[in-house]
Amino acid sequence: MKKHIAYFFLAFALFSSQALLAQEDFRKTAPAPFPAPKIQLGNSVQTVLPNGLKVIVVENHKLPRVSFQLFIDQPIRLEGELAGLSDIAGQLLKSGTKTRNKAQIDEAIDFIGANLSTSSSGIFAGSLTKHKDKLLEIMTDVLFNPAFPAAEFDKVKKQTLSGLASGKDDPNTISNNVSQTLRYGKNHPYGELTTEKTVDKITVDQCKKFYQTYFKPNISYLIIVGDIKPVDAQALALKYFGKWVKGVIPTATFPQPKAPQQTEVDFVNKDGAVQSVVTVTYPLDLKPGSPDEIKADLMNSILGSGNIGRLYKNLREDKGFTYGAYSSLSSDKEVGSFTADASVRNVVTDSSVTEFLKELNLLRDKKVGAEELSSTKAEMAGSFARSLESPQTIAGFALNIARYKLPKDYYQTYLQKIAAVTEADVQAMAQKYLQPNQARIIVVGNQDEVAAKLAKFGKVNYFDNYGNPLTAPAPVSSDVNGYQIIENYLTALGGREKLGAVKDVILTLGASVQGQNIEMKMTQKAPNMLNQTVSMSGMTLMESRYDGVKASVSQMGQKQKLEGKDAAPVADQATMFPELNYAKNGYKVTPKGVEDVNGQPAYKLLIESPGGSKSTDFFDKKSGLKVKSLQTIEQGGQSITSVNEYSDFKAVGGVLFPYKITTVGAMPFPLELIVKSIEVNKGVDEALFKVE
Amino acid sequence: MRFRSLSLLFLAFLPLWLNAQMNPIKFERYKLPNGLTVILHEDHSTPIVVVSVLYHVGTKNEKPGLSGFAHFFEHLLFEGSDNIGRGEFDKYLKAAGGTNNAYTMQDRTYYYEIVPSNQLPLALWLESERMLHAKVDAKGVETQRQVVKEERRQRTDNQPYGKIVEEIMSRAFKVHPYKTTPIGSMADLDAAKEIDYVNFYHDFYLPDNAVLTLAGDLTPAQIKPIIEKYFATIPKSSKPIFRPTVVEPPLGQEVRDTVYDKVQLPAVIAAYRSPAENSDDYYAMTMLNTILAEGESSRIYKSIVDEQQLAVAAGSFSFPLEDPGITIAFGIANLGVDPQKLENAINAQIEKVKTELISENEFQKLRNQIESNLVNKNASVQGIAQNLAVFETHYGDANLINTEINKYLKVTREDLQRVAKKYFDKNNRVLLYWLPKAQ
Repeated sequence: MKKHIAYFFLAFALFSSQALLAQEDFRKTAPAPFPAPKIQLGNSVQTVLPNGLKVIVVENHKLPRVSFQLFIDQPIRLEGELAGLSDIAGQLLKSGTKTRNKAQIDEAIDFIGANLSTSSSGIFAGSLTKHKDKLLEIMTDVLFNPAFPAAEFDKVKKQTLSGLASGKDDPNTISNNVSQTLRYGKNHPYGELTTEKTVDKITVDQCKKFYQTYFKPNISYLIIVGDIKPVDAQALALKYFGKWVKGVIPTATFPQPKAPQQTEVDFVNKDGAVQSVVTVTYPLDLKPGSPDEIKADLMNSILGSGNIGRLYKNLREDKGFTYGAYSSLSSDKEVGSFTADASVRNVVTDSSVTEFLKELNLLRDKKVGAEELSSTKAEMAGSFARSLESPQTIAGFALNIARYKLPKDYYQTYLQKIAAVTEADVQAMAQKYLQPNQARIIVVGNQDEVAAKLAKFGKVNYFDNYGNPLTAPAPVSSDVNGYQIIENYLTALGGREKLGAVKDVILTLGASVQGQNIEMKMTQKAPNMLNQTVSMSGMTLMESRYDGVKASVSQMGQKQKLEGKDAAPVADQATMFPELNYAKNGYKVTPKGVEDVNGQPAYKLLIESPGGSKSTDFFDKKSGLKVKSLQTIEQGGQSITSVNEYSDFKAVGGVLFPYKITTVGAMPFPLELIVKSIEVNKGVDEALFKVE
Repeated sequence: MRFRSLSLLFLAFLPLWLNAQMNPIKFERYKLPNGLTVILHEDHSTPIVVVSVLYHVGTKNEKPGLSGFAHFFEHLLFEGSDNIGRGEFDKYLKAAGGTNNAYTMQDRTYYYEIVPSNQLPLALWLESERMLHAKVDAKGVETQRQVVKEERRQRTDNQPYGKIVEEIMSRAFKVHPYKTTPIGSMADLDAAKEIDYVNFYHDFYLPDNAVLTLAGDLTPAQIKPIIEKYFATIPKSSKPIFRPTVVEPPLGQEVRDTVYDKVQLPAVIAAYRSPAENSDDYYAMTMLNTILAEGESSRIYKSIVDEQQLAVAAGSFSFPLEDPGITIAFGIANLGVDPQKLENAINAQIEKVKTELISENEFQKLRNQIESNLVNKNASVQGIAQNLAVFETHYGDANLINTEINKYLKVTREDLQRVAKKYFDKNNRVLLYWLPKAQ
């Protein structure tokens, strides 16, 4: 292959005629630009209705269409144990009115080829100009007469829960949640997290109450954009929104979130992870429209914007640590933030943190070069110019000017302000807003592999997936014996004698996934025969069998017979109480420390079978019971870690069984399995174990 | 380019953005003596301008054994030229505050830059370099080969359902080059010889096989001499440009198959051989897709996703292709739903448009949706530039940007039923069950 390419190089450049080139020297260098164009921002017109609704109109007749955006500028508030309430209420708005059900709203919108969406902060609707009256009629029906139908509420709640469930295991979601809550604190509205627990508590009445309290004209903006004259738009606003009654909106104040006194590492364990999500973040004070805003934005672009930033060039292009590394610096009227992040391989986790901090310090300590500054300015100016094409951008500018009380020419002079930024300005902004010594370094990753090396950056604190503090894992003293922990476990279950007397078990478990019921049935016969089925709505999705020697797995009509090493994963599951014979069968049991499992300290043991398979099990310090187990298997170049947690132990035939098992990682969604029945020593049909 | 991509991806085709308007889009069209078609659209409302070049070459023009070549070439042509060093293409644009992208499809390859309008000469220079004397060295070829392989891994092999189009096309077409998809075969890319690259460039990257479109803040009198300067002396083709004429015979009977993939939810895909994009029947087909799958009140969405909850996603769309192509109706089953049950539900909706004339009311809704879609298609100068170039190249009439609505208005309710009967025929389809692979 190499050989081919060597002379292909020559051949490929042959196309142009040399004679032609000789006469055309102008081709050799890039042409000079024309004089810089004058940038004209579109105009906007603002009025206020008697009920306090502020109306912003941006006239643009290029296309025969118009959009209406109602933005409710609610004061920030804590939702507390009902976190997520306003999002659900917002979604529900278009699910039914006093006179239309959801299907009728959908049909009415589609009939005029329009679109309409609702959220906690308002409604967006757009259509061709000629349908605007019909559109406004539907939009205001949704705004004034929402019915919050119970059936649709259940649907939205279910969707919210399954959305949360699917993100539960995702390291980026975990990282975002933990960053958000640690950066602002749980007692600031920005630090609140919507969880399954809070969603469960939300009722349809609370949705109605949210709507009644906050959907008021005197805190709202109606932004009308498109093919319409301002006077006509204002008349429409009065006609459709004039009767909206104003109200008193409760407000509250919250303490300003603070950056940590000195840099600390906040670690979230993700069992079996092969990548770490690294985030450097802290809150800061940067208000929209402040004199620093544009300069600070430019400084951040140099550091970490897209594929032109230094972080991308360093961590991706130069070091190859990651697919992408970026930073953002956000202004906000309550509290702004700085965030830099990347997903990196385990072994380079600490090196990546070093590079992040190095880049932050470099920008503080050294002036940027002239070329880097001018190229970043060009990029920002070009991107600003391109954004002006959309009249929605102009409307957004007008809204910002009104909300944040910016000077009227704030955006008109944007390019001049960009052009005026000097190398010294960039350094001043870096020194003011980049705080490598007062940052949170949040790492979501594999504790065993990456946590120890992070101590050099600051104190390492441990958190769960929602930013609740955990006690730091402690090393076990050398006199703790792994086999003794296993022995205590066997005793806690009921003792060797009772366990040995179990000849067969039939275990039926149920789970609910996105509204569908899954049933799992496990039939075991001592010493090591197994039949396991997973079914849904009466249909068998999967069956696995082990007859003591060979295994079979069938799934969706495909059956596979497994022998020898391939049968090991099924065989491992087939053995009844394998812990009984760990010592005898040559299992290696190594204590790895003490860690919290659901807030309770537990011994962590690495268990290695003679066949080479590994499992990390956690035994509650107090009860001795196995409360958690994780296994990592390699499959097609990818490693999949599954984590099981056991709780709610109850005795059957003198032996304790967990009645609740949660499993994460093995399936695309986390499952909570509840035991429906356990039968011990009732006799089983041996045909169930037969492998053919 | 991080965003450079094949546009022939499954989901990219779901929303159908079409076009019509009350304000006609004005443009000027002319040819240079070397055959290069130039289209200018003047609009001073924003100080930006788009420069695009559409080459009339796509996957369809690849020789057997060179599948994936057209797309690979798109990557290579960002490497440099006689006067532009490796990697500098992007650097020039960035320093000018511009942005660029490109894509490859079955029938065309499209490149564009969006720049502040004073940088228009720079964009013209860059495109002329690409057309006149692109240059790639060994390192560039190897780098792009790896990038394309990574692209294939990310977007096809490791993407759940990512291979649907590939599996459909290879069954729906036996002789026509549509049987392969733009990403092509990695083995073919590895086996390619230097002469293949040279020939592909010489055969297709020619002024008389291209349309240069400029849209935005420009003054024709000022810009025409510059276009002339950079493009007029680029030599035209010395032989006829290869266009495949092979006609795919009818499928004859239903092709049913099962594909196992690393997915969690089964999918059912019914792919019907369907009319070429510039035929009257294609407009009817597009309208049938709208009835079936556009908006939450559309037949498939409302019935299968919302009411029966058989699927988490379902839809219907056509590939706009120069030669007769394909229309795909599909559903991704909800957890625990038997694929057979989902197939029956999709079939029932397809049967309904064949056996029942749609009501006057639904017909009016359909026309309203089409009209709205056509308007939204021209919301940016980039959209306008692309539409002008595609209409000019594939339909021979850039003015369709203003008149295409008439093609839709010509379609009657009876036409919809006739076209549904003609193409939504069991013997005219490939039906795939896309099932989770056993772990």
